[in-house]
Amino acid sequence: MILIFGYTFGGDVQGIALEMVNEDTGIPQGSLPQLPDGLFLANDITENLNEEILSIHINSDSADARQCVHDGKAWVAIVYPENFTQNFLTAVLQPGTIPQPTIELYLDGTNPTIVAAVLKEITGAIQNTLSELSATLNITETSMPITVEQVYVYGGGETRFIDYFAPGVVSFAIMMVTTMITIILFVNERRNGTLQRLLVTPASEAEIVVGYALAFAVIGIIQSIVVLLAAIVLFDIAIVGNILLALLVILLLAFGHQGLGILLSAGAKNELQAIQFIPLILFPSILLAGLFWPIESIPSYLQPLSYIIPLRYGIDAERAIMLRGWGFGEIWIDLLALVLFAVLTLSASVLLLKRKI
Amino acid sequence: MKVTCPSCGLVGKVTFEHVYDASTKVVEIRNLTKTFGRFTAVEALNLTIFKGEIYGLLGPNGSGKSTIIKMLCGLLRPSKGSAEIFGQQLPCKPMMQKVGYMPQDTAIYLENTVHENLQFFGGVYGLPKDTLEKKEQEMLRFVNLQDWRDSLVSTLSGGMRHRLSLACALIHEPSLVFLDEPTVGVDPELRALFWGYFGSLAEKGVTVIITTHYMDEADHCSRVGLLRKGRLIAEGRPTDLKEQTQTQSLEQAFLSLTRGNET
Repeated sequence: MILIFGYTFGGDVQGIALEMVNEDTGIPQGSLPQLPDGLFLANDITENLNEEILSIHINSDSADARQCVHDGKAWVAIVYPENFTQNFLTAVLQPGTIPQPTIELYLDGTNPTIVAAVLKEITGAIQNTLSELSATLNITETSMPITVEQVYVYGGGETRFIDYFAPGVVSFAIMMVTTMITIILFVNERRNGTLQRLLVTPASEAEIVVGYALAFAVIGIIQSIVVLLAAIVLFDIAIVGNILLALLVILLLAFGHQGLGILLSAGAKNELQAIQFIPLILFPSILLAGLFWPIESIPSYLQPLSYIIPLRYGIDAERAIMLRGWGFGEIWIDLLALVLFAVLTLSASVLLLKRKI
Repeated sequence: MKVTCPSCGLVGKVTFEHVYDASTKVVEIRNLTKTFGRFTAVEALNLTIFKGEIYGLLGPNGSGKSTIIKMLCGLLRPSKGSAEIFGQQLPCKPMMQKVGYMPQDTAIYLENTVHENLQFFGGVYGLPKDTLEKKEQEMLRFVNLQDWRDSLVSTLSGGMRHRLSLACALIHEPSLVFLDEPTVGVDPELRALFWGYFGSLAEKGVTVIITTHYMDEADHCSRVGLLRKGRLIAEGRPTDLKEQTQTQSLEQAFLSLTRGNET
């Protein structure tokens, strides 16, 4: 646990998916006396990008690259226009004749940490490249004759941390409340004997589990409405997508964690033992599910662990719905993962109740 | 009318009076065995219990009484042998509609009111609303909790909780009731009251199976089965058992029978 803590906390963001479209033709060898080897400015900037931080995928089609950002496959697409190097040289050597050359960035602005990291990395790379060239071309790197045009596919570049955080908190709150209440209630039912009493009625084990699920559905919906209202009223959070779909995700999360709670309750004899399960659920979820920091900031060898944490899919879906306004068609993988988790834990808990020694 | 005990065979020529309907078997247990690892809790038990009986499973702690009840309720799976209730092989969920169970623990919801507990357990058995309303009133009168209908269970005394627990086990008018040590930790006055309840149930044709280790109160049973280390060592009417062993109380009878069994 301490290892996961140490490695996940404060880690730099790594492996941000980036689509790169390089249409820059550069200038050939010998066309300028100052640059006998020719110049491919786009390539030079790219070489200065840290490939640990950015996971670069070369794309030849700028429309496709933008689509990748739109579909959430990449956080950012970078497009170097065709005459990038020529325009740059013209702007530097004959100032005022043409506007500055432009790099186009298409950003998914829903995650402020990632946006900040991307912008820092790209401006840094441009500055490094320019400082390498400054001697030969006699320019000052601070003037930076390159415009970085930011186009936000989602979030409009104004996404605050709280906007990013709210969908995660809603999911996290549901997860914790549902799991803990189920564990404690079931430990109580077992200890009081009311569970045994229920099992001696004609009600089947599945009916008992579904009954609990329905109760939690109500609690879950009320709770998330309260949290969402607080987010909207107090923190002025804009929810772009369909609120009903957001509630559906909450319900699926609640069902799955209720099943998990029933399963865990079998391992506890009293409330005190049940409380010992809290860190077991709490820490992996806080650390690995992308609640506070993006999953990209977890070391790459720990990232696969996040796939087995159901909360990850909940947070992912809630963010996509609330910040990007995505619908069923885009988040179906998350939904599928949550449905599977719920079916698995709920049917396992029915089997657990059916188990007789 | 005198008949020979059809299910026992252990006590020999014990006869009993026909105070209950010996033509209708309610519970029939054949060769029932339960082992937990290497420990045998119940060994090759044969029992037949009839309609309208108050049958007492009697024995010291750890003699297998609760294990038998739990197997009959479907909470434990027998290791060997079979059990039938109303002619149906167990486990049989639908048959549980006719069964009432009062566990050893009080087993009611402490954070809810008396009314809510009765409504909930009545609801689980699928009683329609008007019937449930009627039964709740009847049960509150039966266990004398009318004035406590809207009190939280956690504010009630232990005796009241016991009475409510019994009411919850009876609200759906079961024809077979399992009471697992219903009188443990119950004061003598309430115990007498409880035996009064059980008697009135039996009069209505309800079969009551009760476990206890208080030998004195087993005198109220129509028949008792004496258990020791998971085996039935004797069975019959309390008076007959006392007569047979020439003792004054069931306790002495039990001791005399265990001694006889060991030699």
